Amino acid sequence: MLEGGKINAWQAVFLNVIMVSATALLGAPAIMASQAGHDAWMSALLATTLGLPIAWITIKLGSLYPGQTLIQYLERILGRWPGKALGLLYLLYFTHITSLMVMEYGSFLVDVFLIGTPITAIVLISITISAYILKLGLEVLARTNQFFFPWILVSLVITFLLVIPEMDLTRLQPVLETGPAEIFKGSLAPLAWHGEIIAFAMIIPFLTKPGQAGKIVALTFIFLGLIFFLLVAIGLTVFGPGLANMNYPILNVARVISLATFFERPEPLIVAVWVTGGLIKVSFFYYIIVLGSAQLLRLKSYRPLVLPVGAILAALSITVSASTLAMSDFIAHYWPFYALFTFEFGFPAALLAIALIRNRGIKGQ
Amino acid sequence: MSLFFRKRKKHGPAGVRSENSPGNSKHSYQSLTFSPDIDENMRLLRECFENCSDVVFREFLFAQREQIKLVLVYIDGISSKVQISEQIMRALSLEVPAATDNTVINKTNALHYVKMRGLCIHQVGETEKLQEAVEAILSGDSVLLVDGHATAVINGSRGWEARSVEESKTEIVVRGPREAFVETLRVNTSLLRRKIKSKDLKIESLTLGEVTNTDIAVAYIRGIVNEGLVAEVKKRLAGIKIDGILESGYIEELIRDHPLSMFPTVAHTDRPDRVAANLLEGRVAVFVDGTPIVLTVPHFFIEALQAPEDYYEHYFFTTFVRLLRIGSLLIALTLPSLYVAIISFHQEMLPTPLLLSIAAQREAVPFPVFIEALLMEIAFEIIREAGIRLPRQVGQAVSIVAALIIGQSLVQAGLVAGATIIVVALTAMASFVVYYSGSLAFRLLRFPLMFLAASFGLFGLIAGLIVIVAHMTSLRSFGVPYLAPVGPLIPEDLKDSFVRMPWWAMGKRPYLLGQNNPVREASGMESGPPGTTAPKDGESNAGRGQN
Repeated sequence: MLEGGKINAWQAVFLNVIMVSATALLGAPAIMASQAGHDAWMSALLATTLGLPIAWITIKLGSLYPGQTLIQYLERILGRWPGKALGLLYLLYFTHITSLMVMEYGSFLVDVFLIGTPITAIVLISITISAYILKLGLEVLARTNQFFFPWILVSLVITFLLVIPEMDLTRLQPVLETGPAEIFKGSLAPLAWHGEIIAFAMIIPFLTKPGQAGKIVALTFIFLGLIFFLLVAIGLTVFGPGLANMNYPILNVARVISLATFFERPEPLIVAVWVTGGLIKVSFFYYIIVLGSAQLLRLKSYRPLVLPVGAILAALSITVSASTLAMSDFIAHYWPFYALFTFEFGFPAALLAIALIRNRGIKGQ
Repeated sequence: MSLFFRKRKKHGPAGVRSENSPGNSKHSYQSLTFSPDIDENMRLLRECFENCSDVVFREFLFAQREQIKLVLVYIDGISSKVQISEQIMRALSLEVPAATDNTVINKTNALHYVKMRGLCIHQVGETEKLQEAVEAILSGDSVLLVDGHATAVINGSRGWEARSVEESKTEIVVRGPREAFVETLRVNTSLLRRKIKSKDLKIESLTLGEVTNTDIAVAYIRGIVNEGLVAEVKKRLAGIKIDGILESGYIEELIRDHPLSMFPTVAHTDRPDRVAANLLEGRVAVFVDGTPIVLTVPHFFIEALQAPEDYYEHYFFTTFVRLLRIGSLLIALTLPSLYVAIISFHQEMLPTPLLLSIAAQREAVPFPVFIEALLMEIAFEIIREAGIRLPRQVGQAVSIVAALIIGQSLVQAGLVAGATIIVVALTAMASFVVYYSGSLAFRLLRFPLMFLAASFGLFGLIAGLIVIVAHMTSLRSFGVPYLAPVGPLIPEDLKDSFVRMPWWAMGKRPYLLGQNNPVREASGMESGPPGTTAPKDGESNAGRGQN
């Protein structure tokens, strides 16, 4: 087996939550609000609900082919070469969104905090760190995440609590003004984020108890639902629908905090959360690309692939989009369709259908 | 050190060393045995100890009978003079006739009389091999050669000038036992035996170091320890082939899981109570003759935050102190880099009055804050090193003067901002709070972190921290994760980590160590005033805190 490490249920939950929500932290509320206005909080809840089928498909596929990752059972479902082809597409998709993540990650830091620092430096550092974690293995990734997860959560909760004085619930009124169609449109982007749970299919075989995958995903979605809902709700109650025009609304939320004149503007808390979560998310997807490639090519170890894939990711993440704005536009308007219709929902659903039919055929014989 | 380690490994355990080392002559005498001719035996020994001026050959007559000659061989200084003259020589040469009846003592039965009626010494052994006799002499025993017998008698007469048991110098407690280990192995094991009066406390001994022949003892408690761990420790110790072992640090570096890591994965202490507590949790201790420092494995990082006193003081206070130590550890690691990052990149984090005050202080400072903080950190490390190395009488004075001069005059001269001094001083104080060896890695790591913070602000700092945490989670100490019980999370063991639960609530040994025998105490021991009946349903009672 390529990966010797094992991760337990809580580690998997924490990984999944970070894997989905880390990059949603800053931009997602604005994207939702731009469609659904002050009803965006309903979009968030809707997205979590609509994400459940994707999660169910992921788990179902995993339970049909125990001990195998997505890349491996693609070949079982579709046959050798079509399976390999789709596997390659999946890897390319993961590479694409990972490079987007890295760029999103770097451009935020360069735009807001490290003005003048070349984004290349940030990209190289984050890829290097991820590569180091990958060299140490999945277990270390899971444990590192487990170590930081409580801090991330505590930082978010502190931010949320401190901003309570600035909140005004009347900014949510009138409820349902925008209409159901807009709320649904607003839920597409967060739904695409939730759909990243498909990546979990790559690590189900490495759970100490793969049978717990269902529970893990259920817990993950409870966390995700809360995080997405709170992010939007807080953004809306503090800024109202004007949220939609902000690049990084949650950062702005942190900026209005002022506690007894000595604790002001805890943006660094948000930055710390972003940097930690983002790095772990990048490492996770990077890991999946490397592991998937090794499985596709039937290598004995994934470690020789770490550096080449890292180089590709670094180069791509600098060139994947012309500017931060172009990237945000892509994430807000194109990525949801691109992701949902194909790799996150479309393909898995088709795969599950084929797998169920084939299995029935086998049983019938 | 790692280079050395790898080189040694390449040569393989057999090693080239044993062939051309000073121990070469061993091969020639390894097979030699004594002969009945006492002069021949003496010649052999004299040959072995050629040019060893401290070896004494004392010839005398057994029970004043001319025909039976005895020779006592020992090393002056490591054998007890009183024992040798009173219990061996006086007993053999003067007092035997008084005790014997009418049997005639002659050459053929001399050995029997020497052993059974003559020697008044507590520990007596026999050997026919020259090598064993030589080893006994070298470790302080005296060897008695009897005319006409090919057997030498080994008398346990070790005794040398040694430091007496004193108060621990490295881990000082307010409440708790004061005694610390000393340089003599036997005294150290006796200190442990006095704490754990159990036949299950096993102390196995072996010898390491081809020239120094240092005595090593491996201690563990059978029935608690995982036997696989003991076997692994012994296997790693057996793999050591080195000319000399002068301190347990040699062994520590040779048996670590990760020789290239900065973090210590083997614990060391000079306190018997710490060793005893570690053994009771299922660890293995390694004693080395000639040093008061005893190793215990496996080692968790969390042990750096645990002091022996924690278990003797009230648990509320201990919990407070533990949290304080964790805070100190974080300060020691990150405060200088956080300061550099905030002053260079994230000024908005500071409240305006504070920012203005710092800006005013820094106005005259000619350096960027990174250089300023770096210089001060290095200056502090110099003062610290000087304070340790200088003779004690001078050391303190030098530290104070250095601190005054550097602190006071640098600020007055406007070379360093007052805020920087505060940061450096706080960092320094914080790094002393934690168990010494646990803070060494952090002392070093704060320099790269400062560099990262100066280049990339908070991002660099957090990126560095992630690397450190990832590295620490990847470490193992004798197969046990170093960061347990935090990563991997073992909720039950958290009762003795950031907090310390009261003793009646810590019913089980650490999960990763004590699976062999997990329960350490009866449940439901929580006490109360008479009349109030504590619920007796053990487990649920333990978790709930006090009434």
